[in-house]
Amino acid sequence: MTEQAIENKLTPGWVTRFLPDLLAVVASFVAAGIFIAAMGFNVLDAYETILFTSFRSTNGFIQTLLKFVPLVLLALAFTVPLAAGKFNIGGEGQMIVGAIGAAAVGIVFADLPGVLLLPLVILGGILFGAFWGAIPAWLLYRFNINEILTTVLMNFISFGLIDYVATEIWKDPLAGHPTTVPIGTGGQLPLLVSSPPLHSGLLIALVTAGLIYMYTNRTSAGYELIATGANPRASHVYGINVRRMFLMSLILGGALAGLAGAIEVSGNHHRLIEGLQSNFLILGIIIGLISRGNNLAVPFVAFFIAVLEVGASAMQRTMMIPGEMVFIVEALVLLFVLLSDVVRRR
Amino acid sequence: MAQQPLLKMVGVRKTFGPVVALDNVSLELNKNEIHGFLGGNGAGKTTLMNVLYGLYKPDAGEIYLDGQKIDIRSPKDAIAHGIGMVHQHFLQIENYTVTENIVLGTELQNRPTLKLDEAEKRIADLSERFGLVVDPRAVIENLPMGVRQRVEILKALYRGVRILILDEPTTNLTPQEVDALFESLRVMVNQGLSVVFITHKLREVMSVCDRISVLRNGRNAISLPRSEANEEILVREMVGEGLDVEKSLLFSGEGLGKKTLPVGEKVVLHVENLTVRDENGLPVVNDVSFDVHEQEILGLAGVAGNGQQELAESLLGIRPIAAGRVVINGTDVAQTGTRQLIEQGVTYIPQDRLNDGFLPRASVAQNLILGYHRQPPYSSKNGLLNWPAIYQTARRLIKEYTIKTTGPDEIGANLSGGNIQRVMLARAFSHQARLMIAHNPTRGLDIHSMEFVYTKLLEQKEQGLATLLISEDLDELMLLCNRIAVMYRGQIMGILDRSQFDKYQIGRLMSGVKIND
Ligand SMILES: Nc1ncnc2c1ncn2[C@@H]1O[C@H](COP(=O)(O)OP(=O)(O)O)[C@@H](O)[C@H]1O
Ligand SMILES: [Mg+2]
Repeated sequence: MTEQAIENKLTPGWVTRFLPDLLAVVASFVAAGIFIAAMGFNVLDAYETILFTSFRSTNGFIQTLLKFVPLVLLALAFTVPLAAGKFNIGGEGQMIVGAIGAAAVGIVFADLPGVLLLPLVILGGILFGAFWGAIPAWLLYRFNINEILTTVLMNFISFGLIDYVATEIWKDPLAGHPTTVPIGTGGQLPLLVSSPPLHSGLLIALVTAGLIYMYTNRTSAGYELIATGANPRASHVYGINVRRMFLMSLILGGALAGLAGAIEVSGNHHRLIEGLQSNFLILGIIIGLISRGNNLAVPFVAFFIAVLEVGASAMQRTMMIPGEMVFIVEALVLLFVLLSDVVRRR
Repeated sequence: MAQQPLLKMVGVRKTFGPVVALDNVSLELNKNEIHGFLGGNGAGKTTLMNVLYGLYKPDAGEIYLDGQKIDIRSPKDAIAHGIGMVHQHFLQIENYTVTENIVLGTELQNRPTLKLDEAEKRIADLSERFGLVVDPRAVIENLPMGVRQRVEILKALYRGVRILILDEPTTNLTPQEVDALFESLRVMVNQGLSVVFITHKLREVMSVCDRISVLRNGRNAISLPRSEANEEILVREMVGEGLDVEKSLLFSGEGLGKKTLPVGEKVVLHVENLTVRDENGLPVVNDVSFDVHEQEILGLAGVAGNGQQELAESLLGIRPIAAGRVVINGTDVAQTGTRQLIEQGVTYIPQDRLNDGFLPRASVAQNLILGYHRQPPYSSKNGLLNWPAIYQTARRLIKEYTIKTTGPDEIGANLSGGNIQRVMLARAFSHQARLMIAHNPTRGLDIHSMEFVYTKLLEQKEQGLATLLISEDLDELMLLCNRIAVMYRGQIMGILDRSQFDKYQIGRLMSGVKIND
């Protein structure tokens, strides 16, 4: 995103600029509405629940923000390597391993005071996630092995890893589900709102999104990232070390996902729980693609998807409409957005 | 001249989306004539011939052969009507023999045995008859460009064509090969064939054609017999308005004269025993040495693929150096990275501009700073981009280099080929440099842009820039250079001073014949 483009956004030009996206959203809702009606549910009620649950109660809003945090980070874990033309499909594994790292630090050094332990827990998550991203990155750098394949495979390894950690190493004997013992209280993220609880991971996510935007769009290093994605050969000819850009972008992607894992541990669960990665990977990819890799758009789209997700569980609870319906809506939004791109190009 | 033309194209129109490539174009070809089809790059010559050869379907227009309206929908139809074409960039199967390449796609006489004796004999006959010297059993990959082109012509003759279209056939030939080609064309028309000879080079049509048609911006400009043509008329018709032909460098003939031109004291680029190896370890640049002074344009001539690109890339740190020394401004840069070299004032115009120099998915502004993105004013010391400065420069360059775009924000891929070229020229010429390496900088450019590049190159030379001008266009080199080095199979065969410039002498060096004096 460039200066001019930002200007365009702020001026009335943004209406025409975003009109196709808006239409895409509307179209996907209409399409989903047809499904809902066909299944014999009240369409308007369903829409209302999906769209407004987040805004009708404090609880709903905080739920939305809590969803937003991992979504925005996982989306960035996808868009940053994407800028360099690399596909990180390993956000899930990187998040899990980040969570393991955070939990390990939080458990081993449980007695440290918060000023020390909290930064260490977060850092642990970032580093572990970065490490998990670094393995496919290195395989790509050294042996030219396709990163799509390796990042996906690394996800599977991480499932085994979290299972081992949660059932063998630091198993919580009282829990029915694979879970570790809690981390030291000093490692917990402070709350912004105490009831219902909203942890300060939100601030970390927002600051991170801002920094990533700064990096990709406002620095010469970020320029190199984008140039590499636009044409690696030309970038190489003009002095950019493109292989290092590939490497760095995948490691940074891993770090971002790892941070998401650390925040889940330190803010939400205060321990490692199997399954904490939820479906954030696929949603992150959807967010990244709807944003078309534009890091300024990512937080907004992530918030929108968080609203849908919260609305979806409400819809499932109150109307008995399968929550998967929302996944269909999300997929349709993506489809229509991509379609609108094709149309616009004509 | 009341005779009916052999071939007639009438009112041909062809559009590519918004681009009108041909607008109501007509062409008449008489029997036994070499018809020169002249026009600058992008005039529409290739498009018209592709229509005739059945590769493009025109939006409007008719084709008549011997007065009969014919319908050509594919190259097969064209060949059935006796029309053959040699493309500018033809494809051959490298590890097949000449005969195999020629018979490919024709009905074989003795299919079961795949014996090619008969075909070989016919090819040898044709080759003898038209003076197209080639060994039917030679393997293509071992043949120089000039011979490969003869193979392509024989391919058409073997199929029994009466009309032969040659699209810019001289691009990759040495002057000797050009002469030989022209002689063969003469033999062909004497034996009853007719030839359409496409070129953007004035002197070529003047020397070989019987009739000359000029195409400009997709429209007919003029068509006249050789006897009535002179360079001045043709230039004016080719160029149209807006270029002062009198002052033009491009059409100035001798250009800067035939005397040695002064150069600066300082050696900016010193290359000593440079060797570069390809992926298989074979030397593609072999023990090459030369100097480029301040205020000098050193030309590097040679048929494409003789190591020019590898040489350029090794000088820029894009490709590793196997042995030898490269000294720029007094410092050895054999191990220096491309980024540092650009910072030290080395600019590059790659020949494959789309792949090696352009970011299709980035904006025009982003494209204009590629390579300079870490330098002021675009970037501050702490690595922050200065977008206002970048946009300011972009707007200025768009105006100065008449780049047709909606603005600095437009995505590069939306630009037309010519405008993409301009973006890259703007980038190369607008940044302070001490050494420029330009590889075929005018390839594919229209006449105005070509003139612009020549003017810029000379202007910058006057200001002290050292230039290594790699080009396959000998006229271009002889026009602009102080000296010309000739490259053949990775080696420099000789370096000639301007006072020694001689097309044929350079041609001999281009085909690997050393000077013996
Ligand atoms: N396949 C194509 N798609 C789009 N534009 C084309 C295509 N072929 C040619 N053109 C355009 O048509 C014009 C004429 O091109 P061409 O016939 O190749 O010129 P010439 O052979 O005289 O150099 C140019 O503006 C070129 O960009
Ligand atoms: Mg052409």
